[in-house]
Amino acid sequence: MSFLHPLALLGLAAAAIPALLHLLQRRTPPQLDFPPLRYLSEAERQSARRLKLRHLLLLLLRTALIVVIVLAAARPLVPVRGGGEHEPTALVVILDNSPSSGAVIDGRSVLDRLRVAARASIARTSAADRVWLVLADGVVRGGSREALLAGADSATPDWRRLDLALAIERAARLVHAEPLPGREVHVLSDLQRTALAAGHADVPRGVSVLALAPAGGRAAANRGVASATVAEGAVVVTIAGSDGDAPAPVTVRLGTRDVGRALVASGEGAAVSVTLPQERTGWWVGEAALEPDELRADDRRPFVWRVAPPARVGAGPGAGPFVGTALSVLRDARRIVEGRDVVVGDVSAGSSGRWIVQPPADPALVGQANRALAARGASWRWATAGTPGPLASRDIEAIAGAQVTRRYRLEGTGGDVLATVNAEPWLVRDGDIVLLGSRLDTAWTALPSAPGFVPFIDALVNRVVAGAAAVVTAEGAPRVEFRVRGADTVGATVYGLDARESDLTPATPEVVAAALGPTVQVLSDAAFAAQRFAGTRRADASAMLLALALLLAATELGVATLTR
Amino acid sequence: MPTATRVDLLDPAEVARLGGIEIVAEGVVEGFLAGLHRSPFRGFSVEFTEHRAYQPGDELRYLDWRILARSDRLFVKQFEEETNLRAMILVDASRSMAWRGAPERLTKRAYADRLAAALALILLRQRDATGLVTFDEEVRQVIPARVKAGQWSRFVRGLLDTPDGSGTAAHAALQRLTALLARRGLVVLLSDLLFDRELALAALRYLRHRGHQVIVFHLMDPAEVELTGPPEVRFTDPESPASVVVRPRELARAYAETVQREVAAWRTACRRHGIAYHHVQTDLPFGMALRLLT
Repeated sequence: MSFLHPLALLGLAAAAIPALLHLLQRRTPPQLDFPPLRYLSEAERQSARRLKLRHLLLLLLRTALIVVIVLAAARPLVPVRGGGEHEPTALVVILDNSPSSGAVIDGRSVLDRLRVAARASIARTSAADRVWLVLADGVVRGGSREALLAGADSATPDWRRLDLALAIERAARLVHAEPLPGREVHVLSDLQRTALAAGHADVPRGVSVLALAPAGGRAAANRGVASATVAEGAVVVTIAGSDGDAPAPVTVRLGTRDVGRALVASGEGAAVSVTLPQERTGWWVGEAALEPDELRADDRRPFVWRVAPPARVGAGPGAGPFVGTALSVLRDARRIVEGRDVVVGDVSAGSSGRWIVQPPADPALVGQANRALAARGASWRWATAGTPGPLASRDIEAIAGAQVTRRYRLEGTGGDVLATVNAEPWLVRDGDIVLLGSRLDTAWTALPSAPGFVPFIDALVNRVVAGAAAVVTAEGAPRVEFRVRGADTVGATVYGLDARESDLTPATPEVVAAALGPTVQVLSDAAFAAQRFAGTRRADASAMLLALALLLAATELGVATLTR
Repeated sequence: MPTATRVDLLDPAEVARLGGIEIVAEGVVEGFLAGLHRSPFRGFSVEFTEHRAYQPGDELRYLDWRILARSDRLFVKQFEEETNLRAMILVDASRSMAWRGAPERLTKRAYADRLAAALALILLRQRDATGLVTFDEEVRQVIPARVKAGQWSRFVRGLLDTPDGSGTAAHAALQRLTALLARRGLVVLLSDLLFDRELALAALRYLRHRGHQVIVFHLMDPAEVELTGPPEVRFTDPESPASVVVRPRELARAYAETVQREVAAWRTACRRHGIAYHHVQTDLPFGMALRLLT
């Protein structure tokens, strides 16, 4: 039990007043002659027991009356099951408006249901509470209740996926740090299986996590385009989610023009390849689309590809057998043609055109090679030997993880660092020159023996040395954004949904418990409303105490009057 | 005669403010007799002695019709005393009788004195021998019963000469009185009866046994009947060192019941022994108290 005005409890000292008055009154009573004292003594003797009981009863009643009135003035809050106000509570409302919340199930938007619950949670807070709202963007929003209500009301399905376990853990830590009696996290999410299967939230003790159970508790059928990538003149469309055993028709469009249709089999990860028409040189944007279903946001996904003539490539001095073999393979595949626009090999004075250069095998020649680079206007150079390590590259995924055993550190300014070893530049584009930190030889790196070596050389000669970036994907509203350098388009970013959003299957209680801990409560709408602030819900008992005080006063009056 | 002008029906304290005991007693008796159709306590002598002017209350059978016919004046015939009453009025002068519950009221003693004087005047007017005994722990004054002139003045003087006493040991005084009352007659006791009931009743029973007609006026101040006072008070007995602390409000009912029981016990005991008992509060008009005797 707590009190709204605890200072009023000081008034409990007044409970001693009846006893003190009783004692003080007995001190010096006035003295009067009274001849029939014998009658008085007789009356007192006969009434002694009744009077003692009356005195005790009145003392108790008056003391209790004061205590009850003081308690009522202190506004006690007692735990109640339903209704009533709650004690000051730190609350984080997680409104999961990730793309899957845009699904319409049984004619009602999932987000509408979540929004109603979030609004109810926020509306139940008082000025003594601390409240935050977390949406799918992961940003913790504070502010007034009205502002948070507006935030919840205005929430629309976001294109970003919410890491629910991480969000819950952060929310739990946030409320746990607040010095308030109540700490709650309200999780208003569709509780996708895919949102909880990977993560685990470490919820501190004392934090109550309430999660709204998915409506209906069954998996909603949905299929979405998980990816659409172009390779070898065709787009490969991968499907996420499921919708029974029936295959789904996929339409591929270029602009408003349908360029291909195919049926993709049911099941997670099913893919279909649709051949793209021959297009002239340039960047092309297409779209893979499914028939509309419960979740519309994942029914379309754009893709982009670049149409360019094969590079004219030649092996320079010191290129090595692995580079030569790779160029031969690419030539056979018509990815390149013989020529000198791009030369792969050791650096040599007087070279012109685009250069992909590797360090000299003999350390004594490094200085000479650096001077040749400088003569070409390069600002990068080979420095001392670097430590071995794995390759890391966001731009050329084919080489990521390949081991480098021998290398030179690359030193310089400007240009683009395309790959690193131990966080030090290993592959750098500096104008028309691309510098490698190691020779493309198995004595230096395992890359030549890796499956990604030929694609790596392909990327080097066709894209990297020309200054073009890779087509990358990112999470966001489906669209394509091009990267330009001057008047040239050098790359593109394709935005789309996280494919895991397409699987609307709700997490099982076991998965929820594993991800959020056994103390999390997954509740239906009614149970959620009942359990909201249940741990700290209090009702003001002052009215009841005042009624009790009236009853005590009436009883006291009755006892004082009737037993006189 | 309108009731409002009758002194005997006025508040005793107001009447007492008219003057001394004699004036009050005479006024009370005049009023009292005026309200009666015949004289009280009438003797039964047969020998005519004299005439006297008619007074309201005299029995009409004693009117002298001849004088009325001749002179148109009212005279009644007086007869020689032969079997007239011998009345002894016993007034308790103990310390407790000198108490009153409010300044505007008479003390029990003052009330008793005036009532005794009025009673004596009535008796003497009808030529009953009347005497007085005052007592507290001792017999203080004894005025033998006589009917001669000046008896009433002696009676009143006896009252005035008796100071307020200290304690009350009435049974001892009553026992001594039995020796003083040799001839049968009327014994009227005016007391607050705050003494041992059994011992006092033993003495009264003895008087009754000796053939006396005994009348007891149990005098109480209204404040003795209904307990009032401050929220808490120490009451002390004026006749002893005893005291008790009480809260009058919470003990009032029990006290009233105790008083009622005590009065009832006196009344029952007196009735059992042929003793007339009258409970009189000191705010009762004297005429009403006298009326109890008729």
